[in-house]
Amino acid sequence: MKRRVIAAGIALTLGLTATACGEGSGDEGAATDGKGKTLTVWIMEGTNPDARPFFKEAAAAFKKKTGANIKVEYQQWATAQKKFTTAIEGGADQVPDVAEVGTTWVPQFAETGALVDVTGKVEKSGLSGDLVEGLKDAGTLEGKQYGMPWYAGVRSIVYRKDLFEKHKIKPPTNWKELTAAAKTLKEKEPDKVAFPVAGGAEMFATAFIWGAGGELATEKGGKWKSAINSPKSVEGIEYYTGLATEEKVSPAKVNTWTEKEVGDAWNKGQISMAVGGNWTPKAIVEANPDLKGKLGAIPIPGQDGGMSRSFLGGSYLSTFNTENKDLAWEFVKLLTTGEFAAKWAQQTNYFPGQNSELEKVAAKKDPLVEPFAKQMLEAGATVPKTKAYGEIQASQVVTGMVQSILSGKATVQEAADKAAKGMDAIFAKGE
Amino acid sequence: MKDTLIGGSGRAARDTEDTLAAGRTAPANPGPGTDTDATALRRRRRVELTRPWLLLAPALIVLAGLLLWPLVQVGKLSLQDYEVKFGGGVGTFTGFDHYADLLTSGLLWKTVLPNTVFFAVACVGLTIALGTLVALLLNRLGTTWRLICSVAILAAWAMPAVTGTYVWIWLFQPQDGLFSQLAGAAGLIDPETTNWFTERLPFYAIATVNVVHHGFPFVAITVLAGLLTIPKELYEAGMIDGANAWQRFWKITVPTIKPVFLVVTILSTIWDFKVFTQIFVMPGGNGSNPDVYNLGVFSYIEAFAKNDYGAGSAAAVLLTLLLLAITVVYIRTLFRQGEEEL
Repeated sequence: MKRRVIAAGIALTLGLTATACGEGSGDEGAATDGKGKTLTVWIMEGTNPDARPFFKEAAAAFKKKTGANIKVEYQQWATAQKKFTTAIEGGADQVPDVAEVGTTWVPQFAETGALVDVTGKVEKSGLSGDLVEGLKDAGTLEGKQYGMPWYAGVRSIVYRKDLFEKHKIKPPTNWKELTAAAKTLKEKEPDKVAFPVAGGAEMFATAFIWGAGGELATEKGGKWKSAINSPKSVEGIEYYTGLATEEKVSPAKVNTWTEKEVGDAWNKGQISMAVGGNWTPKAIVEANPDLKGKLGAIPIPGQDGGMSRSFLGGSYLSTFNTENKDLAWEFVKLLTTGEFAAKWAQQTNYFPGQNSELEKVAAKKDPLVEPFAKQMLEAGATVPKTKAYGEIQASQVVTGMVQSILSGKATVQEAADKAAKGMDAIFAKGE
Repeated sequence: MKDTLIGGSGRAARDTEDTLAAGRTAPANPGPGTDTDATALRRRRRVELTRPWLLLAPALIVLAGLLLWPLVQVGKLSLQDYEVKFGGGVGTFTGFDHYADLLTSGLLWKTVLPNTVFFAVACVGLTIALGTLVALLLNRLGTTWRLICSVAILAAWAMPAVTGTYVWIWLFQPQDGLFSQLAGAAGLIDPETTNWFTERLPFYAIATVNVVHHGFPFVAITVLAGLLTIPKELYEAGMIDGANAWQRFWKITVPTIKPVFLVVTILSTIWDFKVFTQIFVMPGGNGSNPDVYNLGVFSYIEAFAKNDYGAGSAAAVLLTLLLLAITVVYIRTLFRQGEEEL
């Protein structure tokens, strides 16, 4: 009996060792055989409601073109940054060959030396002239471009067209009208949130900071300094938080909401008007078919007319410094140009990263797309392009500021001063 | 399997025939008898010394690999400024700078430590009290009901922390949650202007309910196991002497199963000090509301949001030292009390 157990143990150990050997030699085989190569690709989950068929098709096209296989691994936005950091620390064996990288992560990853500078390749492919400027800029550091812009999004205002018509409200064109519209909605539709001032949604607040002519931080001689407590920034913060604290168009429950909760509330039909991304109208109608045809969109109005600038964010497809980087670039090119780029944009409701493709989208004159396209082309803004700002975002400096104002723990100026101090501490650390 | 030396002598003591046989063959052995004895003794001593360590080795190696190594790494990190680089980061030795920064920070003394300590004390106290009460109840129930109740409380225990937390968040959801609506209907709060997650006290009250709910089943089951070992005669004797239920609990139950209480208290203390998930998942708990930081979240934000791995590690080391200190003091007091009573 005992002997049998030992024998089983030995067999098991040998078996494991054998498997391990098998895997090792398999990898080596793949490395030497050109045709049998497999690219590991990390893609963020949730952008495309169902990305699987898309990547099946793209992998088939790539296999036909190069003979290489594609292995897609889906990642969560919430945890991906840590996963990337861990993989980067592990080196070439652990990073993917190609990955979708949020534009605000590019500075951090590029600084570690993990991303491939593809400036030359982009030029050689004749793509450089056709990239959406703001998006290209977001992933370019000191003249080096770390990947291809894949898709982009921007936030504007999404509203219930049916409620606006019912209560004879005109889409607001400046902040005063925005307040008035929200107050009317609150009065006439008391069960709904008239205009959520979501404490956990950073990019809701930044639109009003930029809208008042303020900045998050400014660069001077390569050094960043916070500007979030400048008089103009404070004016924007005061207006935005005032919608909740003074005008009461946003109830206390919204104080801790993130964009996810705003989306959930939309799906339940509990919102009259809110800041929302170009990807939201489609998602809302999918979750709540009753709202089909009842949604409208406008660019975020400027303080005295025009538009408030709003965060232009998106994703890059970047290649990592692995032995497959040339092959990886081919896959990036396949996805970010032509047919597949257009298909991805159409399926996800995001904007493509190429001017030529973006113009095609704008030409369709879809009333739920055009306002966003206008916002993106004319009033897009980017956050400070430095690794430190990624850390500022991750430590929730702006959302923390908004929440402390909403909960009445600090005045606007106090909270802004504290946020500025927090930002400067992180900027200083990076130097 | 028995060692041949021990096996040989045991058999010799039992069986004279064998001893005689051994005696007959002994002169045939090369070398004088006294020398063999000395070697045997040395071998025996060596075996006695090495065998326990040999047997312990696999477990020790696994423990060292899984626990000690990361602990040493965290300690090392806390003395460095660490920068992630492709294929392996670079650490710059900074001495005790991170500890100096940490220990002089107002946030630590005014927010982080009080939150951690008061929260843990409340959770441990309530968990033990509720767990013991439930165990006493289970002890008095018949088989069927005991089974039903045990399954019910085990379900609370088996629930993953994240799921459980979302249920509590949902119940306390401002304006829409069950408790918010009840409190609103009773006129205690104005649901439109009350958000329990933004203030420190209600935030931690909800977190306490969550952690106690998740933690008491373990205490209940463990204490019940202890209760079942107490001889009924003790209670009978107590009753004859006129002790009431309260006295019987404090004079018979508690002293008899003191070791059980010792174990559950230490474990709960350790668990409740390092609560992370339940706080992090709550609205505002992931760093946007610094008022509700505890040591776990603080360490996480420093390390993984600000990429300041050294400062994060220093906070983690502080938490470890704090737990060690509490556990050591606690065990020593309890054992000392035990000795005095003996």
